[in-house]
Amino acid sequence: MIEIKNVSKSYVKGKKSVDDLNLEIKNGEIFGFLGPNGAGKTTTIRMITGILNMDEGDILIDGKSIKKEPLAAKKNFGFVPDSPDMFLKLKGIEYLMFMADVYDVPQNKRKEKIEELTKKFEIYNQLNNQIQSYSHGMRQKIVICGALLSEPKNWILDEPMTGLDPKSSYDLKEMMREHAKSGKTVFFSTHILEVAEKLCDRVGIINKGKLVFVGTFEEMKQKFKENASLEDLFLEITEK
Amino acid sequence: MDKVIKLTKIFLKNSFSNMDARMGISTKSKSKIIVYGLLFLYFAGLIIFLGYNLLDGLIAIHQETIFVGMILFMIFGLGIIQTIFSSINILYFTKDSEYLLPLPLKPYQIILARTNVMLIAEYVIIFLIGFIPLVMYGILTGAGIVYYLTMILAVILVPILPVLLISMLVMFIMSFAKLTKNRNRFQLFATLLVLAIIIALSISTSGMKQDLTNEEMAQMVVQANGMIELVKGYVPTVDYLMEALTTNSLFTAIVEVLKTLGITIVGFILYMLIAQKIYFKGLVGNLFGGGASNTNKEINQKEYRNSKLYKSYVGKEFKNMARNPVFLMQCLIPAVLIPIIMVVVVYAGLNSDGMGLEQITQMVQQTPTNTFFIACIILGVIQFFTMFIYISITAISRDGENAVFMKYIPVSLYKQYLYKIIPNIIMNIVTIIITLGMAEYLLNLPVITLIELFIVATIMGILQSIAMIIVDLKRPKLNWDSEYAVAKQNLNLVFPVLLSIVNIVILVGFVYLLKDINVYVGVGILGILYIVATVITNKYLYNKQYELADKII
Repeated sequence: MIEIKNVSKSYVKGKKSVDDLNLEIKNGEIFGFLGPNGAGKTTTIRMITGILNMDEGDILIDGKSIKKEPLAAKKNFGFVPDSPDMFLKLKGIEYLMFMADVYDVPQNKRKEKIEELTKKFEIYNQLNNQIQSYSHGMRQKIVICGALLSEPKNWILDEPMTGLDPKSSYDLKEMMREHAKSGKTVFFSTHILEVAEKLCDRVGIINKGKLVFVGTFEEMKQKFKENASLEDLFLEITEK
Repeated sequence: MDKVIKLTKIFLKNSFSNMDARMGISTKSKSKIIVYGLLFLYFAGLIIFLGYNLLDGLIAIHQETIFVGMILFMIFGLGIIQTIFSSINILYFTKDSEYLLPLPLKPYQIILARTNVMLIAEYVIIFLIGFIPLVMYGILTGAGIVYYLTMILAVILVPILPVLLISMLVMFIMSFAKLTKNRNRFQLFATLLVLAIIIALSISTSGMKQDLTNEEMAQMVVQANGMIELVKGYVPTVDYLMEALTTNSLFTAIVEVLKTLGITIVGFILYMLIAQKIYFKGLVGNLFGGGASNTNKEINQKEYRNSKLYKSYVGKEFKNMARNPVFLMQCLIPAVLIPIIMVVVVYAGLNSDGMGLEQITQMVQQTPTNTFFIACIILGVIQFFTMFIYISITAISRDGENAVFMKYIPVSLYKQYLYKIIPNIIMNIVTIIITLGMAEYLLNLPVITLIELFIVATIMGILQSIAMIIVDLKRPKLNWDSEYAVAKQNLNLVFPVLLSIVNIVILVGFVYLLKDINVYVGVGILGILYIVATVITNKYLYNKQYELADKII
């Protein structure tokens, strides 16, 4: 469960990039975070994950404050950043083992989990190669594998579908559904409205730092124009 | 041409973006400019001092023209060495190439702009090691205006050919060999080549001494002259410019400069013709060359074994450096290479004096070596050697945009800082052991002194490592487009030099203040001082661990 309470952040004095954000992502829920470029999505994700400090408010991951108990809070999520160009000089297997050491994955689970994830994403045969030789999509896959290795209760994913081929994208979405079904949380940002509509239990739309809508797509349609397309609804909400 | 200039500006801004930001108009930046100005003056002073001594000796025996040849060859040689490293990155591995290709630019515009970037980087260094000594030559020999005009042309023209030659060679290799997919091997090869040159140079120059008699000087001059005569046959531009700079005839000077200009223009035209044919083939191959092949190699069961986090983290740091030739060269190799070069230099130097090591050891044994003075000299030498290990000062910057990783994993920032400086401390210890080994061989010091020196030098290394990661945290260079920008074009690299200067000044001060103190007590006092400084610096790192990470976003 992720709780965002009265969170604000300014990069420039007098101009809030995120303004008094309140959000609760419940267990068993897939939550899509939408918004135009520069709306505050990445800033919010960076505050949830502890990369950025917030000016006001607090964020709790399974009840642990990222501000007051950062290490305990960080143990409760797995994060996939927007850029997968990480540790390019390491071999795939070295990267995954490093992540396993960082997140204390037990010895007896490592092999099983690495094989399961990498075979699902069809990169098992590449694990002995340096990540720098991987394509963009393969890099995205190895980063996702690294984040999910420790079976974190909360998944936080920044634009996770970018660069993935259709099959991997489908697999990831299935995994997200299974994860939520088992009572855990998925929070992800995306630009692809169709993905959000088909996958998410609820969505939040942020615009100019303010949360302008939270709810299901049905609620969005009821609140705005019933017959409008998803794209029209999004544009109406964010251009108001 | 307008587009070429604009492109060059953008490439330069891109690679020096952090420097640009720092060179802003805030008072903070002004103070930085003063620091860099002072450092520039320091190096310029050093070059003037060394150059003056050499030139003065040559003037005494009327052989000053050799000085001009030496400087011109140095510019040429430096052009080659520098381009070996920079060309591969600038031409093929900057991230902007992918965005550049679809733009409506003509191939020659991109090639020219890339070549300009390499040349400009060249001119910055040449100003120090070429321009200043040549001006000094002009002043000391009372040269006229023709000399200075020719000199300016020489400094501009000499580095062009090596840059063109090496770039062309790199383009040639990259266009047909499959090395494009193997940048590491190529760079490693270049690294080893340069190392071989450095060692060869250190051996060949190691016979030089400070106080030479005229006879010895004359003998050296004959050797130097012979070398210049030998090499200049292969480098006609240097030959012509040497003639132009040392002649008294205006006509000869003009003719020689025109000859150089002619060769450079021909070289440039050839370069442009060949580059337009082969550059883009290699570039496209490199950018869009096929993905990774399936290795199907079974993963060794050992790979699945878990290890302690600190081992895993430190291992990751070492792997990242060792597998990256630029980092390998700047971070790991100096720890071993610099003391070894010094061993070679000292050994060859002793031999050239007609003195074997045995005689030296015998001589040393007759004078007291176990003194505080000698101990401080050894610590100063260690400090000087370890200054070139750039592990801590680039610890954060090396990760580039991935440095944010540190902030979202469940490991305390302080611990991660320590894991990142452990490789620096380990490499420092390597240098310390080699240096103390040399000292022991020469000076035959008691074991207790060696142990005491080892402990104090190690503490000095820990202090240096902590201080340098703090500098990197305060001024990280995270947006780089090639490793070269972190390991070379990084102004933070002046801080290890500054710290070393401070440290050596402190050591000199102690020698002056505690001249006759017992060596064990003296080194002990130094040790306590360094421990206190290390504890304070470490406390700062611990207390400010979160604030220090503010710039990592």
